[in-house]
Amino acid sequence: MVETFQNLLLGFSIALSPSILVYAFAGCIIGTLVGMMPGLGPLAGISLLLPATFGLNPIIAIVLLSGVYYGAMYGGSTTSILVRIPGEAASVMTCIDGYEMTKNGRAGPALAIAAIGSFIAGTVGVIGLMLLAPTLAEFALRFGPPEYTALLMMGLFILAYMSSGSTIKTLASAGLGLLLGMIGIDVMSGYTRFSFDVVELGDGVGIVPVAVGLFGISEILLTAGQAAAVKVQRPRLRDLIPSREEFRLSVGPIARGSLLGFMIGIIPGSAHIISSFVSYGMERRLAKDPERFGKGAIEGVAGPESANNAAASGAFVPMMALGIPTSPVTAVMIAAIMVHGISPGPLLISQQPELFWGFVASMYVGNVVLLILNLPMVGLFVNLLRIPYSYLYPCILAFCILGTYSVANSMLDVWMMLIMGGIGYILRKFHYDLAPIALGLVLAPMLELSLRQSLAMSAGDYGIFLERPIATTMFALGLLLFLLAIKPLIFKRGKDWRKDVGLEGEQG
Amino acid sequence: MNHLLAHSLLGLCLCAPLAAQAQDKYPSRTISIVSPFPPGGTSDLTARQLAPVLERIFKQPVTVQNRPGAAGATGAQVVANATPDGYTLILHLVSISALPERDKLFGTKPAYTRDQFVGIARLTADPPMLVVHPSLPVKNLKEFVSLAKKKPGEMIFSSSGLYGASHVPYEMFLQAAGLKMRHLPTTGGAPAMTAVLGGHAISWACPPNIAAPHLQSGKVRAYAQWGAKRLEAFPDVRTFKEQGYDIEYYLWGGLFAPKDIPPQVFNTLRETVRKAVADPDFIKGMEKIRTPIAYQDADEFKAFWDKDAAKLARVIQKIGKVAK
Repeated sequence: MVETFQNLLLGFSIALSPSILVYAFAGCIIGTLVGMMPGLGPLAGISLLLPATFGLNPIIAIVLLSGVYYGAMYGGSTTSILVRIPGEAASVMTCIDGYEMTKNGRAGPALAIAAIGSFIAGTVGVIGLMLLAPTLAEFALRFGPPEYTALLMMGLFILAYMSSGSTIKTLASAGLGLLLGMIGIDVMSGYTRFSFDVVELGDGVGIVPVAVGLFGISEILLTAGQAAAVKVQRPRLRDLIPSREEFRLSVGPIARGSLLGFMIGIIPGSAHIISSFVSYGMERRLAKDPERFGKGAIEGVAGPESANNAAASGAFVPMMALGIPTSPVTAVMIAAIMVHGISPGPLLISQQPELFWGFVASMYVGNVVLLILNLPMVGLFVNLLRIPYSYLYPCILAFCILGTYSVANSMLDVWMMLIMGGIGYILRKFHYDLAPIALGLVLAPMLELSLRQSLAMSAGDYGIFLERPIATTMFALGLLLFLLAIKPLIFKRGKDWRKDVGLEGEQG
Repeated sequence: MNHLLAHSLLGLCLCAPLAAQAQDKYPSRTISIVSPFPPGGTSDLTARQLAPVLERIFKQPVTVQNRPGAAGATGAQVVANATPDGYTLILHLVSISALPERDKLFGTKPAYTRDQFVGIARLTADPPMLVVHPSLPVKNLKEFVSLAKKKPGEMIFSSSGLYGASHVPYEMFLQAAGLKMRHLPTTGGAPAMTAVLGGHAISWACPPNIAAPHLQSGKVRAYAQWGAKRLEAFPDVRTFKEQGYDIEYYLWGGLFAPKDIPPQVFNTLRETVRKAVADPDFIKGMEKIRTPIAYQDADEFKAFWDKDAAKLARVIQKIGKVAK
């Protein structure tokens, strides 16, 4: 403990030196701006900035890039809440209740709670990283394909809780998402599926263009189709601060989201994406009145936003302790230190204490920077809503196209986004929920890959899921959740059973 | 004021013919090097070491553009169909040969073919290393092979992807040693390494720069490597050839242009790259990313590439379709 404290002092002496502090600030600001650009997420942000860090020293490089990373995680929530456009996959859940809050005139509190939740979760994440990195990293390695499959199955069960509408329609949306996720080269056999000789489709359909299209573009189209002009919001100052009640409701979700997000973030693979989904599902499950979800429940903002920020810190655990990148973002960061001749690996923390502890300390600093940067900005952002829609929406559309194109310099992504916007518009006219499509698209390729990897490991024997304690426990938990979900279908027979099956829009 | 204007105009007139002449001379504008992989990979990092050196020699901007997708096929397709004027180049890896073979195997329309490119230079060629999880009760390649022989089809090796840059060499080894193992394909070098570190697979053909920190800390062991001679960084790791297996394989990277590039532009590029690889900045940069330079000029590279691609094609055909 004493040693940790000394190391942390060393870290702060580095992180608080003016030259590094400036870069931490710059990183947070750039990150926030990048995150607010529709379509541009943390990965795009740090990829674009990577070459610029080659001329800096390694500590500055990593401080700058990590600032961009969690800055973008935060910035993504701003557009999700204000205009229903997710900056990246992790903010999809924030769109649902965040945007509803904006429509209810509570954009200020939603933004404030997102900032506070992100701050708390980020700090919890850094503390976890600092104290537990080596231990947790070894544990994370035990997550092989079978464990991953179990985790994703749990994610799939959560789909059932996601919608406020009819169960049948939720499952239909989820099915569409899962089908979209089937497009591309099959990693396990090499066959190309549903790509129609378009080489770019070999990688499958990207989540960013789909999410931006489904949520953002469809919203723009819906607004344009309304007979009466939409009333421009004029938020008053006292509407910016969360009420006591909103604070009270957010405490639990922030705490749970922080822990959950951190644990999921550590797991190798792109598990951090599902942290916000899982958190949303959990909060909905735990809420006394789940009907409020989807209609502007603050828990639906607080939980997922905390979870995705904690997951961002969690992802640094295997990267720093073992030198293995568990997501594309950390892969780019590893490259950023590699070009300085430092090879990240199990010995990084002991061989490069300045780098590790400087980085940890800079994350404390960065989280504070983000909070003081963003809380006063809430008023400014909310005032963006004063811009009449006839000016605001064309600008947003232009930014969506620009952002989506710049991620991979691909026109295909732009078309994908626009087509998804049209599909989203039609589906919303028929009252289908869109979030299950996004979750299905994220889960399908990951679940398929890990399931088939598990079976490749066992030569086709499903027993592998019962031989491994972590996987077995998680499957049991998932099964329990599933049984809880279908319980009303079985035990409420007394009443009209059709209602419970979901034909009447009842939800388990 | 008036005669200042006159002088400027005069100056412009004098400069105009010079500018026109410069237009004809390659290069007269920005050259972009496409990296068909995401930022941070070997291709991207090598391109970013090369670009500033070329920029200094050419006195024209040289930029790196990432066009990742479909394991390197997207970027290759873009450059194969780009105007062959020397302003669009690509820094591709050994997988440039494997991708069309995979298309051939499945009878799908190839995204591009090998003969759409002409090699300017090979820049790097690193042999992968056979790394093994330390829990395995073996101390060298011989024991590893005999253990695998005792448990046919039970041990699991991982790779960065089916028919990919680390799957092909492992199959070469399995075919040469007459072994049968289960294959756990993943989606890249990092997840393949993670699978072995976590013990979910026991071995893979790992690039030296990924293996280095884990070898150093004893999290994995290396029993052989695919090169023709010992590696400078790992003098103790013997080659397969030394240990009686006639296999050789490199994770190489080269600079390519679209095939119909004008000969004088091609020669300019060839000469400039030759100068660039000898430049101290490039050498220092490549040392930092732990990827040794293994330069080959265009002719030598062509011979190497043809032979290498033929070898790869044979291995991939032999692997065949995995799913029935």
